Amino acid sequence: MFDPGRPLTGVRVADLTMIWAGPYGAKILADQGAEVIKIESPRAWDNIRTLLPPPVAPGEHWWNTNFYFHEYSRNKKSLSLDLASDEGKAVFARLLAHCDVVMENYRTDVMDNLGLSYEWLCEQREDIIVVGMAGFGKTGPEKDAVGYGPIIEMMSGMTSTSGYGDDGVPYKSGISYGDPIAGICAAAAVATALIQRKRTGKGQYIDLAQREVMSTLLGEFYMDWSMNRRLPEHMGTGHDWMSPHNVYPCAGDDDWIAICVRTDVEWEGLKRAMGAPHWTERAEFSDQILRWEHRAELDELVAAWTRGRAKTDAFAALHAERVPSSPVWKMLEVLRDPHLQARGFYEPIRHPEVGIWVAHGWLWRTEGGQPCIVGPAPDFGQHNADILGGLLGIPQAEQAALEAAGVVATRPEGVPPASEMPATPSLI
Amino acid sequence: MSEQPSGRDHGDDAGRPFDGVRVLELAEGISGPFAGRWLAALGADVVKVERTTGDPSRAFGPWPDDLPDDETSGLFLYLNGDKRSITLNLETSDGREILRELAQSAEIVIESFEPGFLESHELSYAELSRDHDALVMISITPFGQTGPNANLPATELTLYAASGQMWLTGHPERHPLKNGGSQPSYQAGLNALAAITGAYYGAVMHGQGSYIDLSVQETYAGMAEAFHTRASQLGIESQRSGNNLNALWGVYEVADGHGGICALPRNYPAFARAVGLDELQDERFADPGQRLLNNDELMAIMYGWFAAQTRQGLLELGIEHRVPFGYVATFEDLTNSEHLQSRDFFASLDDEDTGSLTYPGRLWLSSGHDWKMGRAPRLGEHNMEIIHGELGYEREDLVRLRELDAI
Repeated sequence: MFDPGRPLTGVRVADLTMIWAGPYGAKILADQGAEVIKIESPRAWDNIRTLLPPPVAPGEHWWNTNFYFHEYSRNKKSLSLDLASDEGKAVFARLLAHCDVVMENYRTDVMDNLGLSYEWLCEQREDIIVVGMAGFGKTGPEKDAVGYGPIIEMMSGMTSTSGYGDDGVPYKSGISYGDPIAGICAAAAVATALIQRKRTGKGQYIDLAQREVMSTLLGEFYMDWSMNRRLPEHMGTGHDWMSPHNVYPCAGDDDWIAICVRTDVEWEGLKRAMGAPHWTERAEFSDQILRWEHRAELDELVAAWTRGRAKTDAFAALHAERVPSSPVWKMLEVLRDPHLQARGFYEPIRHPEVGIWVAHGWLWRTEGGQPCIVGPAPDFGQHNADILGGLLGIPQAEQAALEAAGVVATRPEGVPPASEMPATPSLI
Repeated sequence: MSEQPSGRDHGDDAGRPFDGVRVLELAEGISGPFAGRWLAALGADVVKVERTTGDPSRAFGPWPDDLPDDETSGLFLYLNGDKRSITLNLETSDGREILRELAQSAEIVIESFEPGFLESHELSYAELSRDHDALVMISITPFGQTGPNANLPATELTLYAASGQMWLTGHPERHPLKNGGSQPSYQAGLNALAAITGAYYGAVMHGQGSYIDLSVQETYAGMAEAFHTRASQLGIESQRSGNNLNALWGVYEVADGHGGICALPRNYPAFARAVGLDELQDERFADPGQRLLNNDELMAIMYGWFAAQTRQGLLELGIEHRVPFGYVATFEDLTNSEHLQSRDFFASLDDEDTGSLTYPGRLWLSSGHDWKMGRAPRLGEHNMEIIHGELGYEREDLVRLRELDAI
């Protein structure tokens, strides 16, 4: 029975991606029902497993239990396979015959160096769809530049648009924003190629440069440069015609609420939410243009109302009057956002060694859909036997020989004990 | 305006992935049109149904010389290339009837009305798909179709706050900061493209479509990286870290602007070679454990070193040594980038109303297809072509519909 919530059921993906951008894209494919086989070498495993040492007792198999790894790996399978060895490559060739898609986000030259060129992949599976996600793409004078999310963000123009406006300093996003953006786009590219393959019977090679995808989210700035030779001003949390439009301090430690007023109707709503203080009737706040011209003073007056209130109380008053607003949710708070809870956005996830916690479920949901999360991140090499024996029919003795030769493994080589990892107050 | 040539020519043999697929775009603003824009570039016939006063994005700049004009909004032109525009007033029964007829011929519908609007106008998915099982329809709204905030108006700023992203961005000793532009809407549009392409593949394979409820808040909240799991699995809150998570992960001032580095521990040896300062070989920096304990000292060194670099010099040093260096590129840099030009990244448009425009024209490069890079439609430009030519309404009907404010 076809489940429209998992439209990619029946699609098998050989996922060679690591760190964030690629794994995020592969996660979206897995959520949509694709069988995503995460392939890692026993000697070159996904660095995300051990990048951030856990702050609490992590257990012996901490490469399987680490929180960062779990963020991108639910609903996937794990196969360990050394693609640098002839034996590993031979197994990979057999696996490819059963795959629809190969994804990788290595540096530009790595696939060719491993002998895994597009031509070679096509020899194993004629209509294979291959997605390469190098940061700057596979061609052009900057193709050998390397970069993680914030570098992608800087080089795409994104960072140049953000800043407080009073110090000339461009600011990066809090997250490595370039990564998930590239991952989402890769998921779209895979589905698009599958649609085209259904029509033509042919696969294709997709050269998806992370920097370029990020840059497509900035179209109006390109237009302003073309039209007016103007570069963006840093707006902070302000706006070029709305006021109020800012974050305002609330009672509590570093607590804030975002409030925006676009129309006179919303201004009337804000007035009522604040209890209609007499200052709101002043002539200089009587229309949108005047409010914007007097925005510094207006911000102070709105802040005087928010400052003594809990951000959830201020939000309740604004919500009742349909004023665009939201508490600035912290990471622990967004998990408890009553709206997200009512929609069931977060789903429980359970792992035998970690226990139970919540992770975000569907990024978008289909009517009548099932829960998004089918299973937690797989242990390293958890599906070796299923895939090698079950899917490929490799006899057990041969599997044992591969393991003895170090071509496959159920524990990655060279992971230091968690106790030897540096303690860090910071994330990386 | 004139037709523009498409970018890279792959020959016509493979066609484009969405050739012959009709998309009905009832979406306004950024998210839905962004998704529709790429479907159009991939070959779909995207019929953009605008209210009679036009998509509100026509009223947002930038405009050439800052002169507002419905037909030259840079935002609108960017988001609506290669589409056809008709105007329909859905408050009239004739307008709704035309929409139903169009939906019968469409494989995909994209809409962004306030939750409840389509139901109250008898245009819900249940109605549009009644004799059309394979229809894929997506609703894109700030908070989704259900829940206590479903009908709460939103802006980019409030969505940024509601997703948790804003909390993480900005200087730790200042207020949380908003990213430039309209990132909540744009990223939701990219998610919508992934959702639509996935669902349409399912419809092609199984003959069964689907209705998708996409919330901008959820798509944005779903990319909170390690910060998310650290909270949900370990119960630990995260703080804003400004421009520097640590000395080797952040933005610095350089001689001609700003640059930066994002080095993981495994990149350190190459980084130290590239920079070439002897002190970087000291145990207190070279050892990953000690490095974090001596982060302030390392940052002081890096401030000095970066100040003497140029942006292009940094990028080239990174390429030479395989170190993640980069710079804060401007839209002038990007428009003039030889690298991006060599990869046919840009679409261009040149006519007397808008002047010469250069803007991103594709998402990825494929061996299987190229991308259309044509211009955006004028308001209602295709009313006659579609309502008369394709749906078979007589010319007199169009006059009548106009008099009834239906188109």
